[in-house]
Amino acid sequence: MVVPRGWPWGGVPLLMTAGSANTASLNIVACVKWAELRPEIDPLHGSVGDQPRGSGLSSSDLAAIESALVIAEAWSQSGTESSVTVLCAGPEAADAALQDLLAVGVERVVRLELKEQRSSAQVAECLAAVLTPEHLDAQLVICGDVSADRGSGSVPAFLAHQLGAVQALGLIGLEPTGSGRLTATRRLDGGRRERLLVTAPAVISVEGSVADLRRASLAATLAAKSKKIEVRVLRTDSPVEVHRLRPWRPRPRVLAPPLGDDALSRILALTGAQASSTSSRTLVLDPEQAAEAVLEQLAAWGYLSDAPPT
Amino acid sequence: MSNSDVPDVDVPDFDVVVVGAGPAGSAAALELARAGRSVCLLERGPYPGSKNMYGGVIYGRVLDSLIPNWWEEAPIQRWVTRRSTMLMTGNQALTVDYRSNTWGEAPYNGATAFRPDFDAWLAAKAEAAGAVLICSTTATGLLRDGQRVVGVRTDRPDGDLTARVVICCDGVNSFLAKEAGLYPPSDPANYTLGVKETIALPREVIDERFAVRGNHGVDIEILGCTGKVPGGGFLYTNAESLAVGLVLSLPELAKCGRRPEEILAELKSHPAIAPLIEGGEVKEYSAHMIPEAGYKMMPELIGDGILVAGDAAAMCLAAGIWLEGVNFAIGSGAAAGQAAARAVQRRDTSTAGLGDYRRRLEANFVMTDHRKLKDAPHLVMSDLAQQQLPRIACGVMEQLFTVTNPEPKPGLRKIIRSQMKLNNLKLRDAISQGVKALRTYG
Ligand SMILES: Cc1cc2nc3c(=O)[nH]c(=O)nc-3n(C[C@H](O)[C@H](O)[C@H](O)COP(=O)(O)OP(=O)(O)OC[C@H]3O[C@@H](n4cnc5c(N)ncnc54)[C@H](O)[C@@H]3O)c2cc1C
Repeated sequence: MVVPRGWPWGGVPLLMTAGSANTASLNIVACVKWAELRPEIDPLHGSVGDQPRGSGLSSSDLAAIESALVIAEAWSQSGTESSVTVLCAGPEAADAALQDLLAVGVERVVRLELKEQRSSAQVAECLAAVLTPEHLDAQLVICGDVSADRGSGSVPAFLAHQLGAVQALGLIGLEPTGSGRLTATRRLDGGRRERLLVTAPAVISVEGSVADLRRASLAATLAAKSKKIEVRVLRTDSPVEVHRLRPWRPRPRVLAPPLGDDALSRILALTGAQASSTSSRTLVLDPEQAAEAVLEQLAAWGYLSDAPPT
Repeated sequence: MSNSDVPDVDVPDFDVVVVGAGPAGSAAALELARAGRSVCLLERGPYPGSKNMYGGVIYGRVLDSLIPNWWEEAPIQRWVTRRSTMLMTGNQALTVDYRSNTWGEAPYNGATAFRPDFDAWLAAKAEAAGAVLICSTTATGLLRDGQRVVGVRTDRPDGDLTARVVICCDGVNSFLAKEAGLYPPSDPANYTLGVKETIALPREVIDERFAVRGNHGVDIEILGCTGKVPGGGFLYTNAESLAVGLVLSLPELAKCGRRPEEILAELKSHPAIAPLIEGGEVKEYSAHMIPEAGYKMMPELIGDGILVAGDAAAMCLAAGIWLEGVNFAIGSGAAAGQAAARAVQRRDTSTAGLGDYRRRLEANFVMTDHRKLKDAPHLVMSDLAQQQLPRIACGVMEQLFTVTNPEPKPGLRKIIRSQMKLNNLKLRDAISQGVKALRTYG
C-alpha cells in the first residue's frame, strides 16, 4: 500500500522537499520532546507535579532517534549521503542529555524552546517552521508515537499536515529499502498488521519497541563534550490560554434517559446492573478443544475475519 | 590484559581518572582541576548521586576550604538544630535531646540533603573547574602496564581510558581497589546493611511534630531498635519528608533469617516513632552497604598509579552517636586529588611518588578520628550497647518515674543495681566496658 500524500482534502503547501532523486544528500530529522517521564498526578486537583530529574526522552522518542540513525546508515550505503538531526522541544535542563546524542552519530541537535503552553497543532506549527528547506530542510521526519506526558500522538499528524508530507504513524517496524524509501509496519485492530511503502518526504512515528538507542563509544562521548547544541526560542502570538485546571476525566457518553417508575429501577436501567450481559459459559475441555473454542468465540466477535461482527 | 594490549601511557588520555562521582570523587576531581590537571570523572549512574543513598545528614565544615560560603548555594533540605539520641526497648524510649540555635546560623553544623541534589551540585563544581564528567559509564577493570595501573576499562564501546593516576572513589566494596590487590580478603562482619524509607509529610506537620520552624531540622539516632541483630536506627527531617532507617550487621542479619524491611516496620510502629511518621506516604525504599569497621578494615591506600578514597577505602566513620561518611569522603577525596596533582606535576606517580596522600590524611581529621575511634564500631555493636544498655536505661527511668505510693521512693543506686541484675550485667563488666568506652571516645 502506498500512502497518499498530505490530507485527502488537499490544499496544503508542500514544505518538504523530496530530496533523493535530485539531491546528493538527505536529512532525517528526529522530532522529540523532553517530558516528565513519570508524572505525579495529584488525585484531587489533577495537577501534574514537577519531579526534579524525572524528565527525559521517552522510549518511543529514543526509538525514533535510533530509527533515524539506522535509516541514514542504510540510505548512505545505498548511495545517498544521509544525516540525522535531532529537533527537541524542551527546556534548558535537557541540554546535557541532548549533548550526549551528538556522541551516537547524530550530526546536529537543535533544541526548540517553546515559551508558552500550546496545543498539538501549535506545537506542530512551531516544529514545521524549523523543518522547512530554509532551516533544517528535512526530507524525513521521525517522531515517537506519543509523548510521555499524556500525549495524544497527534503532533506527528499535524506536522505531516503542516509540511504537506505523507504520514505513517504508530509504526511497530521499519525497514529502509532504497534511497529515500522504507517499508513500515503498523498495528491494526484484530491482531492484524499493515505494511506501508513510504517515500520521502514523509512524517512517520514509531512505538518504543521499534529500537533501543545505541550506546556511544567512549571517544565519541568525550568528543561530544566540546560540541554545542543549537537553541531556538519560539514565541507565538497565540499561546494556549489555560483558564482552569481540573482533574482529567474520561469523556462522558451520551445515553438515553433511563426508563422506570422508581429511582431504583432507573438506576438499574442506567447502570445495566442485573441485566444479563453476554452470558458466561464454563467449558471443561482439553487444551486443543479449548483453543478451538477460544478461536470460535473470537471469530464470533469479529476479530478473526474481515467480515463485520455479527 | 595481554602485553600487546598495553596502552600507550606516554601520552595518556588524562592526567588522572577518578572513578565514581560521589562526594569523594567530586572532591578529588575538583582539587585536580583547580591544580590545572586534566581529569576525567567517571560515573556509572545517569547523573551524580542517582545511585547513592545514605541516612541524610551532611557535616559541611570540611567544605569551608573547598567551597567558601558553601552554605549559600548548597542544595540543603534543613539545617540540623536538634540532635537526639534515643535508647529503646519494645515499648519504652529514653531520649537525650540537645538543641542549639547556633547550628541554624552560618557557618552551620549539619544539614539534611538529598544525595541526587548534593552529589550533582558538588560534581558540577568539579566540572566548572574543568573536570570532564562522563556519566552512564561503568569502570569495569583496571588497565595495567606490569604492576603499574595506567587507566581503566569501561563498559562503553572502545572504552579504555588511560591516565597517569587512577583514583578509586567507587564506594563501598570497591571492585577496583580489590582488583589492584589493595584489599585483604573481605570479611562480611566488617560491613553493615543500611536500609531507609523516605516518607512524605507536609512541611507544617513536620515543623509541628518535631518542634522546629523554618529550615531547622532534627537528627535522631536510635539504639535498641534492631531486635537481635546488632545495629541502630535513625530518623531525620527533610523539608517535606522524613528519612527513617536502620543499619544492620550483615552476618547477623543473614543469620536471623528476617528481612530488613520487617525490622524497619517494627521501628516504624514503635510508640515513640509511630506518631512522628503517622499519615506519611512512603516515597522510596533503598538499601546500601556501609564499611562499618572503618580503620580496622582499611585497605592499602596507595599503589603504583592508584589511590583509594572515601567508602572505597572504608573511610566512613560508624561510631554509634556518629555516622559520618560524606565529610570523610570529601576530606579523603580532596587529599587524594591534591596528592595526585602533585605527583603528576613531579612526574612520579609510583607508590612512593603518591605517598603524599597518606601524609595528608594523617595530618587532617580523616586518619586522626579513625585511629582514635578505631574500637568504637566494635563497642557499639557489642551486646552491652545493643541489648543491655537500652533495657537498663529504660528500666531505670521507668522505675524512677513510676510513683509507687504508699511505698516510699526507691533510691537510684538500688534501682540501677536491680536493673543490672535483671539484665545480667555484672558491675565488673559494666566498669570494664565503661573504661573501654571512655578510652575510645575520651
Ligand atoms: C544507610 C546509610 C546511612 C548513612 N548515613 C550517613 C549520614 O547521615 N551522614 C553521612 O555523612 N554519611 C552517611 N552514610 C555514609 C555515606 O553515605 C558514605 O560514607 C558516602 O556516601 C561515601 O562517599 P563516596 O564518595 O566514598 O562513595 P559513594 O557515595 O558510594 O559514591 C560512589 C560513586 O561511585 C559510583 N561508582 C561505583 N562503582 C563505579 C564504577 N565501577 N564505575 C563508575 N562509577 C562507579 C557510584 O555510582 C557512586 O556515585 C550513610 C550510609 C548509608 C548506607
